[in-house]
Amino acid sequence: MQQIQLPQGMKDTILNECEKKKYLQNTLEQIFESFGYEEIITPTIEYYETYENAFKNIQTTDMYKFFDENGRILTLRTDMTVPIARVCASKFKDSKPPFRYRYTSNVFKVRQKFAGKRSEVTDCGIELIGLDSKSDVQVLSCALEVMKNFKNYTLEIGNVQFFQAACKVVRLSTEEVNTLANLIDKKSMVDLKVYLDSLYLSEKIVDFFMHLPFLCGDVNILDEAYTYCFDDSLKDVLDSMKECIQSLKELGYLENVTVDLGKVAHLDYYTGIIFEGYVSGVGTSILSGGRYDCLLKKFGRDLPACGFSVKLDPLIDHVAVQSKKKYKLYYPQDKQIEAMKQAKKLRKEGIVILEPSTNESIFVEEVQA
Amino acid sequence: MSLSIALTKGRLEKQTVAMLEELGYGVEALKDKGRALVFKDSVHDIQYFLVKSNDCITYVNHGVADIGVVGKDTILENENDNYELLDLKIGKCKFIVASLPQNQLFSKVGHIKIGTKYPRVAKQYFLSKGMDVEIIKIDGSVELAPILGLCDGIVDIMETGTTLKENGLVVLDTVCDISARVIVNKASFKLKHEEVMKVIHDLSKRVNEDVD
Repeated sequence: MQQIQLPQGMKDTILNECEKKKYLQNTLEQIFESFGYEEIITPTIEYYETYENAFKNIQTTDMYKFFDENGRILTLRTDMTVPIARVCASKFKDSKPPFRYRYTSNVFKVRQKFAGKRSEVTDCGIELIGLDSKSDVQVLSCALEVMKNFKNYTLEIGNVQFFQAACKVVRLSTEEVNTLANLIDKKSMVDLKVYLDSLYLSEKIVDFFMHLPFLCGDVNILDEAYTYCFDDSLKDVLDSMKECIQSLKELGYLENVTVDLGKVAHLDYYTGIIFEGYVSGVGTSILSGGRYDCLLKKFGRDLPACGFSVKLDPLIDHVAVQSKKKYKLYYPQDKQIEAMKQAKKLRKEGIVILEPSTNESIFVEEVQA
Repeated sequence: MSLSIALTKGRLEKQTVAMLEELGYGVEALKDKGRALVFKDSVHDIQYFLVKSNDCITYVNHGVADIGVVGKDTILENENDNYELLDLKIGKCKFIVASLPQNQLFSKVGHIKIGTKYPRVAKQYFLSKGMDVEIIKIDGSVELAPILGLCDGIVDIMETGTTLKENGLVVLDTVCDISARVIVNKASFKLKHEEVMKVIHDLSKRVNEDVD
């Protein structure tokens, strides 16, 4: 039998998928470029240690791993933020911040078999490095410029500090914090109740954590959130979020912005705002990002940072591509040169495909999309 | 916006449909269904479809269904990327560890083999006990496996315990309680927030009535 199989999770991009993907990519890159983000390309292969250094709770089974000639573990990059942090902290170590980078790159994660998931996906995103949380609104407005290109979308903003401030006041252990974060992030209400009962916390605090997953929706939910605050440090986080929302309002971006204070994913990575974009018809988030002020330090330069990436592949079916005009130019073999001359002129108007024919004369036909 | 709800076929289906009916949802079509697999609600803008339990999670993971009703056993055994918002308190049973009384499963020195339909649940349970066991996947009548000497013990679902008793097995531990849960696709939760929350509120009202 001929070898025609693709490895698990891989997919060919064919037919008009390429056109749509490129179109989407160009649209996003133009937005990022107009915000002053410079393009950066890093190698597909990184040392595994680079990722181990970046994440405390690294998901090793998610990564494609192999060895170099010296036995060191290599990996296919699983994201672009880590390589960019590495570049920024090393190659630009004496340059003055802020840094603005953009990228479009394929990233790799080993996904569950037979579940309709892709192990190689294209991420298109930006990183704003060297500015603190006061500049969050700049990154968010860039994300909203992206989302505006889709019908029926929502950008949902959370802040992991709200949850973490609460855990700090209650003095939970790291393990307890992680278990709790996982349950809250998944809005796993049944298990959350059972777990909270096992921690013997006061009623007020249990009430806070049980409500956290539902402190989501319209931005006005922030006002309701104040009623659950049992410490001033929690109110401070809400104040800063309100300020951020107010700035977005002033900039005219508030439509389709929602809030989820129960969004507490990847606590070993995100340190402040965390946001995700959803588009009607796609079952997963298509844009995700947040503030990660501790990552650059791990590569030797302590700089705050914030960024996001957009998943191009699930969006392919949600872009309206303005197609170029397309012609077929039929020609008999003895008139090939003549046909090519005509085609050369016609190419100013669109795409011309030369098609051999048994007719005696040359004729042109517009191909309907 | 219209909602799609995936219901797990079989016993859970009947109880869920009964709950929805009591809440005034238009589920007549689901009660007299023939061979159809997709049903429209005659009152609300909802369509229901009937699927096997594992598929329920897959459909909701992809957002093809916004909401799913599925047993906790299936959620624990599969990769579930969805929110798990509600316990319907129906289809109640337990995950248990059982073995022949003479097997001394937890104090055995040496290699331990566990037969189960739920390898992931079994693996995780024994790891949490600090035991690295070998899992043997069995697809039905799991009770038979220790009797024939294929394994030392089993992890399985228990409702009444009758089957275990009749085959001379004893329950050694409860892994966790199981009941039907309502799962919601994350994107649907954001984009159809009001519609989803209405269903959740209705159902949770109904569940709490039963408890009171």
